[in-house]
Amino acid sequence: MNMAHVLQEFLKEMGFALLEYGGEGSFLPLAELPNWFSEIWDDAANASGGIPLAQQSPFLENFLLEAEEFWNSPGSAACQSETWIERSHSGREIPVQAKALFLEGKRIVALFSPVSQFREQVKILQTARNSLLDHERLAREIQKKEILLHCIVHDLSQPLSVMHVAMDSLSQESISERSRQFLTLGKHASGQQETMIRQILQTFSDDLSVSLDAGTEGSSSSDLFDCARKTMSSLEPVFQAKGVRLAVSSTINPAAKWLVVAEASRLQRIFANLLENALRYTPAGRRVTIGAEDEGDFLKAYVDDEGPGLPNDLRPEQIFGLFMKGKQSGGKAGLGLYFCRITVERWGGSIGCVTLPERGSRFWFRLPRATGQVARSSTSALDSRISGAPKRAPLAVRPLRILLADDQEDIRTLTAYQLKRNGHKVVTAKDGKQALRTFGTSTFDVVLLDQEMPGMTGDEVARAIRKTEVGKKKCVFLVASTGNTTSEDARQLKQAGFDEVLGKPFRMEDLSLLLASSQASASETRTPSFLPAVPDAGIAALLERVGGDEKLLKRMIQIFLRDTPKRLAGIAAAIRRKSPDGVASIAHALKGSVSIFGAEEARKLSQELQELGRSCELSRAPEILASLKEEIAKLQANLRGYANQTPARSESNHNKRQRPSRNRGKRRR
Amino acid sequence: MLQKKICMLGSFAVGKTSLVRRFVESIYSDVYQTTVGVKIDKKNVQINEKQVSLVLWDIYGEDDYQKMRWTYLRGASGYLLVADGTRKATLEKAVSMEQRVRDEVGAIPFVLVINKSDLIRDWELDPALESHLAAQGWCIVRSSAKTGEGVEESFSLLTRKMLG
Repeated sequence: MNMAHVLQEFLKEMGFALLEYGGEGSFLPLAELPNWFSEIWDDAANASGGIPLAQQSPFLENFLLEAEEFWNSPGSAACQSETWIERSHSGREIPVQAKALFLEGKRIVALFSPVSQFREQVKILQTARNSLLDHERLAREIQKKEILLHCIVHDLSQPLSVMHVAMDSLSQESISERSRQFLTLGKHASGQQETMIRQILQTFSDDLSVSLDAGTEGSSSSDLFDCARKTMSSLEPVFQAKGVRLAVSSTINPAAKWLVVAEASRLQRIFANLLENALRYTPAGRRVTIGAEDEGDFLKAYVDDEGPGLPNDLRPEQIFGLFMKGKQSGGKAGLGLYFCRITVERWGGSIGCVTLPERGSRFWFRLPRATGQVARSSTSALDSRISGAPKRAPLAVRPLRILLADDQEDIRTLTAYQLKRNGHKVVTAKDGKQALRTFGTSTFDVVLLDQEMPGMTGDEVARAIRKTEVGKKKCVFLVASTGNTTSEDARQLKQAGFDEVLGKPFRMEDLSLLLASSQASASETRTPSFLPAVPDAGIAALLERVGGDEKLLKRMIQIFLRDTPKRLAGIAAAIRRKSPDGVASIAHALKGSVSIFGAEEARKLSQELQELGRSCELSRAPEILASLKEEIAKLQANLRGYANQTPARSESNHNKRQRPSRNRGKRRR
Repeated sequence: MLQKKICMLGSFAVGKTSLVRRFVESIYSDVYQTTVGVKIDKKNVQINEKQVSLVLWDIYGEDDYQKMRWTYLRGASGYLLVADGTRKATLEKAVSMEQRVRDEVGAIPFVLVINKSDLIRDWELDPALESHLAAQGWCIVRSSAKTGEGVEESFSLLTRKMLG
């Protein structure tokens, strides 16, 4: 057996077809052809003379163009094809690859069929692409479910509210004992239904949280700028197709840390929705700019377009409503911006839009800066009700002046009726704006606001009311009635200024409990959230402690006002650096400082931070720091007010100082 | 007989192979089988009383795992740009591919086929973008390899465009 024969046998065994290119798509076999070759090109293989393979295989014909380039410039990079599929005469699919070679001045093409390698490649790619498709499907499902969840929470609870209040009202009428039994049955059944709906929703909500947390390894922070860049990259072709430029604001610092409380894939969807919205309204030749700003505890992102600006007939908050579509260049179902809103709000952020002064509009959202693991919000009173916590017996409530705002007439009427029956004086408002107007014209002990009202939401009314109360000693007890009852919802409502959250549907006994607690708060001279935290008595005591020396006190205040922001920033930085020692040490200093001014709540929070630092457990630190900042802001406001309003006096007029401040504390209304 | 090369372009899993199988063999399968490499099929059609042999290059869908070789477009008389109506990103990808084809081989006839019209209730394409592309002169056909809707039309329309 000579060497040439061995080589031929080897090539056949390995499945190689070694062919010399003779020009014009024709080849001469240099060795015996493998079986797979004959399965595909048996006619050609058996032909005498050259095999016209290029005519038989369009792929090979195309490959020859590359091969010619290779043969004409020897020494260039290797020339090998990707896999292509040929069909045998029996219909079997056979993967083939080609490689061009230049051997001893001959133009050679080696063909081979990498069957097992191809199968492996198919298997891997099939798995990878199936996973990608599953991921895409899941992301779409989650978006739909989130919107659905929000709608269900709101819509299902409305009729149930009416049922509850109607049955409560009936039970107070003079009815027969038999009717009362039926009524009790009805109340019991509607109560069961309420519990079931809430449990289903809670499970639904938990499922979503689990789905969304999957893949993020428990972390809920994402890079705002990175998400913006990725979204821009995927949408760039669409912008180019429309002739709209897509730019990043020159003011943005890419090197800065842009970590926010958010989940990356949803954050990218928010950017995509905002960018697509901007593209819809921006004419060709104009620009859409994406930017971000550092706002301390929050990071703000925005998308500026050069379109016609916001429509005159819609308020910015309406634009983010469900099924809200622009009249021109309308979107699909009006879900995109709505999704942005509910998602941003769920992360504890806010969203809005404005018409820009020159032209176009800005759509922005603000998210909390991520400073570590995101703390879960505390459980609301409502949640404990859902989880079956025992109810307290209704307390006796003295007559109150109540402002009740709900856009749903039946709920408004029935609730007012019930409250009046219980001896309260009730004024009703059919929407948020009317509620705010009414609030400004009279005095109320309690304001009960529906969260979702047209024109002005309950949150907006609450914020506006709290604004009017700044500088007042006493403020109204604000109750939100809402179908959005997750812990996160309750937390946000409290942030808006509500004292309590009442889940819809509610029963009169729940409301009575809240009204009783409003009285308890009032009797404890409750300090409103947005009012100074230090009572005048505290200042007086402090002044006494410094021997009535107002100059000294003012000096202490100046030092406090100067140093405290640095200390707060120091704690925030230590949390970011994950430095428990830093947190403990600065919190300790701050605790001493706020204690001087008698700010008990701030002292407790500082103490809590100090302990967290000492125990090296900082997961809740951002949350506590946020509360501490609020408390300190109140204290600072009060101290600044004192420092500005009080000229240095002698010890003798120290007592006089307290009188005007008592007068200041009286209600203006 | 006149021979014309047509390339099938688009993201993965938009239905390029299914469209070709429906067109050539009148077969459809619900099971997604990813294409690795290139498959070439032929079909003779009659357009305006002309017999044309269409050589259909079913090229794997481009993604992070497989990048398109633009040399496959050599000699192509036209291409079908396929998107999946239920996946918004595939239309964005199609728009991007059209630009790249123009850069690589110049302006050649193409038809945008938005596939999976049988799942129209799950579509998530922005009608504004579709209208905008149509206004720019794009030929757009909604198709379903499953029901056959728009399949013949897509190939016929492209062939007519290729024949001028």
